[in-house]
Amino acid sequence: MSNESIDRSTLPIRRPPFKGVVKETLDGSQPDWDHVAPIRAPDGAPNVLLVMTDDAGFGNPSGFGGPVRTATLDRLAAGGLSYNRFHTTALCSPTRAALMTGRNHHAVGYGMVGEFAGPFPGYTAMIPKDCQPFAKTLQGNGYSTACFGKWHLTPDSQQGLGGPFDRWPNALGFDYFWGFLGGESGQFDPMLIENNRAIGVPAEDDFYLPDAMAAKTIEWLHGVRAHDASKPWFAYFAPGASHAPHQVEAEWADRYKGAFDQGWDKLREETFERQKQRGVIPADAELTPRPDAMPAWDSLSETQRRLYARQMEVYAGYSENADWNIGRVIDAIEEMGELDNTLVIYIWGDNGASLEGSLTGTFNEAAMMNGVPLTDEQQLQLVLKWGGLDAWGSDMMAPHYSAAWAWAGNCPFQWGKQVASHLGGTRDPMVVHWPQGIREQGGLRSQFTHVNDIGPTILVAAGVPQPTHIDGVEQQPMHGTSFIYTLDDADAPERHTQQYFEILGNRGMYKDGWWLSMMMPRTPWKIDPETLKQFAPGVWDPDSDPAELYYLPDDYTQANDLSAEHPEKVAELRDLFWQEARRNQVPPLLGGLSGFFGIHPPAPAQSEFTYYGDVQNVAPGTVPPIYNHSYTISAELEIPQGGAEGVIVAEADHLGGFALFVADGKLKHTYSFVGVKEFRQESESDLPTGRVNVRMEFAADAPKPATGGEVTLFVNDEPVGGGRMEYTVPVRFSGYAGMDIGRDNGMPVDRSYADKSPFPFTGTVKKVVFDVNPHLTEASEHDLAEHANWAHTAHAITA
Amino acid sequence: MSDNPKDVLIAAYLIEDLAKKDFDALVKLAENKTIAVEGVVLVRKDSDGDVHVTEAGDHLGRKGMKVGGGVGLVVGLLAPPLLATTAVGAAAGGVASKFAKHRLESGIGEKMDAALPPGSGGVLAVYDADGASAVENALANAVKTSVARIDGASAKELKAGLAEAQAGMAG
Repeated sequence: MSNESIDRSTLPIRRPPFKGVVKETLDGSQPDWDHVAPIRAPDGAPNVLLVMTDDAGFGNPSGFGGPVRTATLDRLAAGGLSYNRFHTTALCSPTRAALMTGRNHHAVGYGMVGEFAGPFPGYTAMIPKDCQPFAKTLQGNGYSTACFGKWHLTPDSQQGLGGPFDRWPNALGFDYFWGFLGGESGQFDPMLIENNRAIGVPAEDDFYLPDAMAAKTIEWLHGVRAHDASKPWFAYFAPGASHAPHQVEAEWADRYKGAFDQGWDKLREETFERQKQRGVIPADAELTPRPDAMPAWDSLSETQRRLYARQMEVYAGYSENADWNIGRVIDAIEEMGELDNTLVIYIWGDNGASLEGSLTGTFNEAAMMNGVPLTDEQQLQLVLKWGGLDAWGSDMMAPHYSAAWAWAGNCPFQWGKQVASHLGGTRDPMVVHWPQGIREQGGLRSQFTHVNDIGPTILVAAGVPQPTHIDGVEQQPMHGTSFIYTLDDADAPERHTQQYFEILGNRGMYKDGWWLSMMMPRTPWKIDPETLKQFAPGVWDPDSDPAELYYLPDDYTQANDLSAEHPEKVAELRDLFWQEARRNQVPPLLGGLSGFFGIHPPAPAQSEFTYYGDVQNVAPGTVPPIYNHSYTISAELEIPQGGAEGVIVAEADHLGGFALFVADGKLKHTYSFVGVKEFRQESESDLPTGRVNVRMEFAADAPKPATGGEVTLFVNDEPVGGGRMEYTVPVRFSGYAGMDIGRDNGMPVDRSYADKSPFPFTGTVKKVVFDVNPHLTEASEHDLAEHANWAHTAHAITA
Repeated sequence: MSDNPKDVLIAAYLIEDLAKKDFDALVKLAENKTIAVEGVVLVRKDSDGDVHVTEAGDHLGRKGMKVGGGVGLVVGLLAPPLLATTAVGAAAGGVASKFAKHRLESGIGEKMDAALPPGSGGVLAVYDADGASAVENALANAVKTSVARIDGASAKELKAGLAEAQAGMAG
C-alpha cells in the first residue's frame, strides 16, 4: 500500500485490509506484509524541531537587535526566515496550549495557567479530547515524537503518581517525555519527570538542566535513528530559560560583565537602533516611552544600579546558555545529515519578558508569588543575606530581575508578560529554518502570525491532514492558519487576519492591521487582594477600561493611539472582541481568578494525607494544603539504639519550605518564610529509641492568609518544645521544589544540614501523616477551604 | 577619650568598593573632627563567615593596618578573633575575654552575625553617639546598618585593657 493511498483523516489510522491469502496451513497461504507494516509518514515528510524558550522578549536576542548573544538563533535566521510579527498569548500555559493544539487558548481550557483548574469552560486547564495536540496527529501518522523540558499543560492537582495521566505528555502525542510538568524549574535542582514517573532531583553535583536537556534530546535522536533509518521525528524542545529562577553558572553571566552598566533606558535605545540597522523593524518605527510605573535608571542609587546590572548579566548569560544548548541539538542533527530536511521553528519566548520580578527584582520569585510586600531596602538586604551579588544566579537564590529590564527586553514595545493588550506581552521573535522547504536565506517575513498557526503549519509541512477524528472523538478544527504560504513569498497577503487576545483581563483585538488594546488598570507585579478589589464582580466594568487603538501597518510599535480619531473603529473592534470572546469561551473575564472573588470549590473531603516512608518527589502542587490555617504533621519512627539523625519530612528548600528532622539527638522543625525569615523549634530533650511517634502541631491564630501561630513539638504525645511563627507562607513554598519523606532532596530547607544533603533518616520513617483540619482552633471548614483555595489562585497568576 | 556613650556600628554592603567609599567618608569625618571617632574598620566576611580587615582608620583620620587603641576597640567589639592578628597579638587572652563578655552582654555579637552575612563587605565603627546623624549621612551606600550602644566608661575600660595588652606585647 503506497503512502499516498492511506486515509489519514481519522486516527488511529485503520490497519489496511489483509490482501494476502489464508489457507488452513501455510501451504498455499500468501502473505501481505503491508498488513503488518507500521504506519509510515508521507514520503519526504520532514523532521520537525520546535523550540520555545520562556519569558523572553522581542528585543533580547542578538538576531533581533538585542544584547543577548544568540548564535544559534542568528545562524538559523541567516539560513532561513525571521518573522517579526509573530504573536503569543502573553502567558505561559495559554501559549503552550495554543501551540500544541493549534487552537485558541480559552477554547482548550487554558485562559489561565495549568496550576489552576477553574470552574468555567475557558479555564479548566484540561485540554479537551476534541482538541488533541498536533503531536498526536504526527505520532499517529508515523512520526517518532518527544518532548524535552517545560510542559505546563497538566493541571496542578493531577501531577502526582495517582494521575490521571491523560493530560501528561505521553497521552497527548509524545512517545517520550523528559522534563518538568509545571511552569518553572530550578536549573540546578529540578524535580524531573520521565514519561509518567517522577525521577526526582539529579544527584550529580554539576548538574545543569539546559545542558542535560540537550544531551537527552541528542541521545533520543540517535536512538530513533538507530532504530529506523528513515522515520521522521518531531522533537519539542522547551527550556525553562529564561523563566525565573534565573540560574546559570557565573561564567555565563560573567561574559556580560559591564554590558548593562548603562542601564535599561540606554539599553533600550541601543537595541532599538540595532533593530533598525538589522532591518528587523521598519525604518519608521517609533520607540515607545517608559511607563511611569518604572524608574529612570539615572534616578537609582549606586548600589541599585550595580545590583540591577548584575541581574541583567545573569539573565543574559542564562538566555545565551539556552541558545547554546539549542545549538548543540542543531549540530547533532547536522552531524546526522538531517538538517536539510528538518523544519526548525525557533520561537524566542512564550510571552514577552516577565515583569513579575517587581521594580527591584527579587532574590526569590516565591516572595512575589506569595504577595509578600518587600520594600526596596528589604530586597537589597535579602540579597545580602543569601550571598550578595555573587550568589545572584546560583542555587542560593531563585532570582528574577527588575521589571524594567523586562521592559527593555521587550523593546520596542510597551509592557510585557501578562499584558495581552500590548505587543510587549504578545510579540516574540520567530525563526524558521528548512533548507529543503525554503528557498530564501536570511529573509524577513512580516505577515501576522500567531502561536496557534504553528500546528497547522507543521501538519501542512508534513503532508498530514488535520484529522476529523482521533480515538473516536470528532475533532474541532484548528483555529490557526498555516503560514507555509509565506515561506516563498515575502509579499503574500497575510491570511491570519483576525485574532483576539485575553489574559487576566488584559484584552486585545486584531483585525486587518488594526489593534484595539484594553489593558486593565493593574501593573503585572501586583496581585495582592487590595489591588484586585477594583476588579471584583459588580465593581469592574471592563468596557470602561481605557481603550487604545493602533494601526500596525503604519505604527509597528503601538506608539500612536488613534482611538480619539476613530471612535467607530474602537466600537467595532470592541464588539468583535466580545463576539470572539464568546466563541472561544473567554467569559467570564477573570474566570481564572475566581478564587480571589469568593468562588471556591466544595470543601475537600480529605483532611488526612498519609505518606509511607519511601515516598519522594511529591509535586509541589500536590502537597497537603497546609497554608493559612492550623495543621499537624505526625510521624511514626523507629530509632535504633544509639539514636538516629536525618530528615523525617521536608518540602522545598531554604527559600521557602519546612523540614521536620532529627539532628544532635533532638527533634527539630524549621520553617522558611520564603527566605525572608526562618522559624526554628526543637525539642528540649533527646529523642528516645525504639518506636517513637513525633508530632508537630501548628495552631494558627486564625484561618487567614499568612497567619501566624504557635508550634508545639511532641514526642510520644508529650510536649517537648515549640515556639511562635510570626508568619506563614500564604500561597506556595515553591513553584517547583517537591516534598520528600525520609530525606530532603534538592536544596535543603535548613542550611545547617546542607553538608549532609539529602540528609536521609538513619532510623526508619514508617509513615508521615498530615492533618490539615485538626480542629486546633474554632476555624470552620468553610474558612479553611476558602483560604486554601485563595492560596491556589494566587499562585496561578504568577506561574 | 570622652566619657560620652559610644555607638557601635555595623554597616553591610552588597558591593565592596561602595563599602570602601563609605569607609573613606567616615574616616574623613574623623579627620575633620566633625565627630569623635574611636576607630573605623573596613572588613570583608568570606563565605565561611570569617571576617578579614581590609583597612582601618583611627580617631585622627589616619588610615592603615597599624591600628591604634580606638581601632582595637572596634575590632574587639565586633570581630574579636581579629584582635590577635591586628591589635594586641595572640597572647592577649585576658583582654579578648573581656571583649567577649561585653559582646555577649550587650548583644553586639548577635547583631554582628545578623548584620553581616557571609560574602558581604562591611564598615565597623565606634564613635560618640552624638555623631549618629553625621555618620548616617556618610553611609550613603550601606544596605543595612545596625547600631549598638555602650557607655563611655566601659569603652574606656576596654580600651585601657587593650593598651595594657599591647604594652605587654611590646615589653
